[in-house]
Amino acid sequence: MSAPCIEATELSMVYRVRVRETGLGAAVRSLWRPEYKSVQALDSINLRIEAGESVGLIGPNGAGKTTLMKILAGILKPTGGRVRVLGQDPFDRRPEHLRRIALVRGSQPLTSAPELTVMDSLRYQQLVFDLTEPEFRRNMDELVDLLGIGDLLNRQVRVLSLGERMRAGLAMALLYRPALLFLDEPTIGLDVSAAVQTRSFLRQYVARTGATLLLTSHYMTDVAELCPRVVLINRGRAVYDGDLAELTRRVRHDKLIEVWLAPDATMPAGINAASVNGHYELSVARSEVAAVVSRLLADTAVLDLSVKDAPLDVVIDEIYRRSEVETR
Amino acid sequence: MIRLARLFWLHVVREVLSWSGSWWFIFALAGGQVLPPLIGLAIWKAVFPDSDHISEYYIALIFTVATTASYENHTFSERIYKGTLSEDLVRPQPPILAPLGENTAIRLWIAMFAFPIVLLLAVGTGAEFTAANLLIAFPIWLLTGILRFVFTLCLAMTAFWTERVHAITAFGTTLMYLLGGNAVPVDLLPEGWSALARWSPFYSMVGLPADAAAGISVDVVLNGVVAQVVWLALLCWLGVVLWRRGLMRYTAVGG
Repeated sequence: MSAPCIEATELSMVYRVRVRETGLGAAVRSLWRPEYKSVQALDSINLRIEAGESVGLIGPNGAGKTTLMKILAGILKPTGGRVRVLGQDPFDRRPEHLRRIALVRGSQPLTSAPELTVMDSLRYQQLVFDLTEPEFRRNMDELVDLLGIGDLLNRQVRVLSLGERMRAGLAMALLYRPALLFLDEPTIGLDVSAAVQTRSFLRQYVARTGATLLLTSHYMTDVAELCPRVVLINRGRAVYDGDLAELTRRVRHDKLIEVWLAPDATMPAGINAASVNGHYELSVARSEVAAVVSRLLADTAVLDLSVKDAPLDVVIDEIYRRSEVETR
Repeated sequence: MIRLARLFWLHVVREVLSWSGSWWFIFALAGGQVLPPLIGLAIWKAVFPDSDHISEYYIALIFTVATTASYENHTFSERIYKGTLSEDLVRPQPPILAPLGENTAIRLWIAMFAFPIVLLLAVGTGAEFTAANLLIAFPIWLLTGILRFVFTLCLAMTAFWTERVHAITAFGTTLMYLLGGNAVPVDLLPEGWSALARWSPFYSMVGLPADAAAGISVDVVLNGVVAQVVWLALLCWLGVVLWRRGLMRYTAVGG
């Protein structure tokens, strides 16, 4: 069996934070008798990701997703457990290891000097990552094509919009063809079109290069479109690791039926449906979907009908609220 | 080594370009560096009107402080506070290259503003520097530049632990001003204070190259260089310790 791309065993991270009670007296006392509290950011996480996999880390704010990603990227050192990324301890940050990974943060997609042009920044990246001129040309041409950044190359970073910064940031991060890509909230703040473009590009890039992708996002569309596998983290623990659809099935035992009726038609008696923007929505147990649909079609004039899983955001919200999904 | 030199130069060029949009701010920074020794020159020249040494010392001092200015408490600390240090940590290059490149770029910009002032003062006061003294002062000035960078970087790294890094740096800057030979040339201090100042890191970071350029005894220069090297070694060691421990504390931003 080949070595995994990422392997974490009993990974833990404890932050020591200073605390004090409110009030002037407590503030003065804390000067010579500071008190600390341990915050368990990660608690015995086990994770194995094979090369070429795309995995989404999901969880509510403060769950530990970003901490986990930073540990895997080598930015933070865990306080417990063992982690290997591409066969290395990531915190060693060996140059040959760093040439194989990339970190893209949606909050700061492009940290180049604002006065430089995008091309200046790409040239800088070429030198930092030791790319030969043919490699640089080949990879850049490919990225320009995929990301559509040809018209951005000679523009200064400071005049780029957020969407353009993200595209340029992705070009910077992928110029050296990293084998492992860490994406932290890649579509945060982007408009719908820019988010769609970003997701589309990432899908194509992963398919074309076989890169491994680890993504955190609060936008479930990102996760659903890019990651067949999700790891749900809550209070520092991995509470689910597996297929997103299976997660939905475990949490929601119902389906959503949307019905559009003819102008004069009404809902049959005994069927409780909510009227939403000119159509009706029904939440129905999976086992009763067929019967309810048959009854609707038989007893009223249906123009259109769709059966779908509950919206992903609703499902995830429910999971976060429950915080009790069984560990796989 | 060639790769490192190229990367360093690339950082310098990048930051020179980056700061080119903030030349008014650079002008203010240059003023902040040049004014205190300029006032010192005016005061001490009034006290010792016949002393050529005072003019030469303070002109050399203006050159020194302007070309060794360090602002890592603003630049590097901000990278810790904003979390952009994370980008440096995942690049295959020593993380010190980024602050070093930015430091050099800022110094080049400040020097551009300070050079004309130094030249005007030299001509106006009739100050004369011998080639031999300038030759002796040159390596000391280089060491001063490195020492001041490492010193400020050490102070800036307290940003791993506190959000009050500017207060800490201000304290260091005040000591540098008082004991470094900026407010008062060190040999004009009372005897005990003078000896203390000469062996302090602050004189090594401020007054020593100016004294060497203005002309002092070989013994004083040699003692100064020994102090410089010792302080540089100590601060480098401290910097490594702070960096390693700071990284363990580094949480950057995010949930």
